[in-house]
Amino acid sequence: MLRRRVITVLTFVDGVLFRTKLFDPDYRYTLSFVDTWSIDEIVVLDISRSPEEGRGRFAEVVRNIAQSCFVPLAVGGGVRSVDQVKRYLDLGADKVVVNTGAVENPSLISDIAAAYGNQCCVVSIDAKMHNDRKYEVFTHFGTQPTGMTPAEWAGRATERGAGEILVNSIDRDGSLSGYDIDLCRSVTAATSVPVLICGGAGNWKHFLEGLTSGGADAVCTNNIYHFTEVSIQSAKTFLARNGIPVRQ
Amino acid sequence: MIGIVDYGLSNLTCVEAAVRRFGFETEIGSRPDMLDRADKIILPGVGAFGDAMRNLRQSGMTEALDRHVRQKRKPFLGICLGAQLICRDSDEHGHHEGLGWIDASVRRIAAEAPLRIPHVGWDDLRMQPHAKSLLFENIPADALFYFTHSHAIYPSSGEVVTAYCEYGQRFAAAVQTDGNIHATQFHPEKSQRYGLALLENFLRQS
Repeated sequence: MLRRRVITVLTFVDGVLFRTKLFDPDYRYTLSFVDTWSIDEIVVLDISRSPEEGRGRFAEVVRNIAQSCFVPLAVGGGVRSVDQVKRYLDLGADKVVVNTGAVENPSLISDIAAAYGNQCCVVSIDAKMHNDRKYEVFTHFGTQPTGMTPAEWAGRATERGAGEILVNSIDRDGSLSGYDIDLCRSVTAATSVPVLICGGAGNWKHFLEGLTSGGADAVCTNNIYHFTEVSIQSAKTFLARNGIPVRQ
Repeated sequence: MIGIVDYGLSNLTCVEAAVRRFGFETEIGSRPDMLDRADKIILPGVGAFGDAMRNLRQSGMTEALDRHVRQKRKPFLGICLGAQLICRDSDEHGHHEGLGWIDASVRRIAAEAPLRIPHVGWDDLRMQPHAKSLLFENIPADALFYFTHSHAIYPSSGEVVTAYCEYGQRFAAAVQTDGNIHATQFHPEKSQRYGLALLENFLRQS
């Protein structure tokens, strides 16, 4: 039976591991901090805004992870063309994550799917909640509104060929207060492809909620305190005890 | 020397790293002459069936693979798309002919809601006791492997299947034929402990 996944999301700025937006970049944390045996999958995102130099260091990071971690690797950050996808795949990525690039040019999704297969394309959706409890998709590092709900965009991205949808709550990101379950449900109901929930994971109960009430196929954490071997094993033990099929 | 076939679509980094990890020399290449030097051959793959076959044909690799694998019987391991390519045909984005080494077709995964497609993540296998494969030696029956695919291998008969995966209509997770031809739908190079053990079983066979 297919297991639910616990996924580590590593964000990099200019090749340096960056903690979530509520924290300053912390140079103490290196890749050796990251568990590579209990974790089910790794997502690596480059959120550098300065182009070339940062990207070169990021490429090194991707290559290192790919060569030492025998675990699935998804890579994203400014992907706007199939050429960039090829570059990331050549570095060792199994899948690419597209966000703003896909909203600006939805054909990017179908182009990637046609060239590499649907499963290679993860569409990442950043969402903010408005006062009336409606959600809106934002691009450009959460600064530009799009006028679409996450459910709408998830449905359209799926039609275009997305293999998975990664939905991230901008409000909850870094808050340690749990995933936005309503947001998650709105997306799982809108698509037939696997859904990964991100943004807000603090304790194992949050993971459990995401996988049960939220209906997600995978839970993501970008909380570095979750990155150690002991931590991930502990999370999975908790999930298994609560009836969730996980890899242990 | 382990020859890893590059046909322009695949992610080779991890396969190469895994093989090197066991101390074997590798060569990655897209030209048929690479197979002359290879003792064992790995055909990895991520991508579209039709494009892959076209690339393999254009480079002369299809004939070279037939010669070295079917005639010279060098050990062969196909992974993911590489496993699908040894089938008769695929209906992914149109109808395409494969290498035809096993009597099986590649079709979109036959599974319905609430199962989601693509089939992504860690899943277990139904090993076939009557068809013991050297790939699974010393690997427990409940081992999990990583899958990521929208199309799967549906064989005409169970003869070639060494392990099934049950996700909707069951499909072949691992196949073997002629003694030297092995293929897995899952990614052993992405399946950590047991995936690496499986690769080692393939690499160390005499």
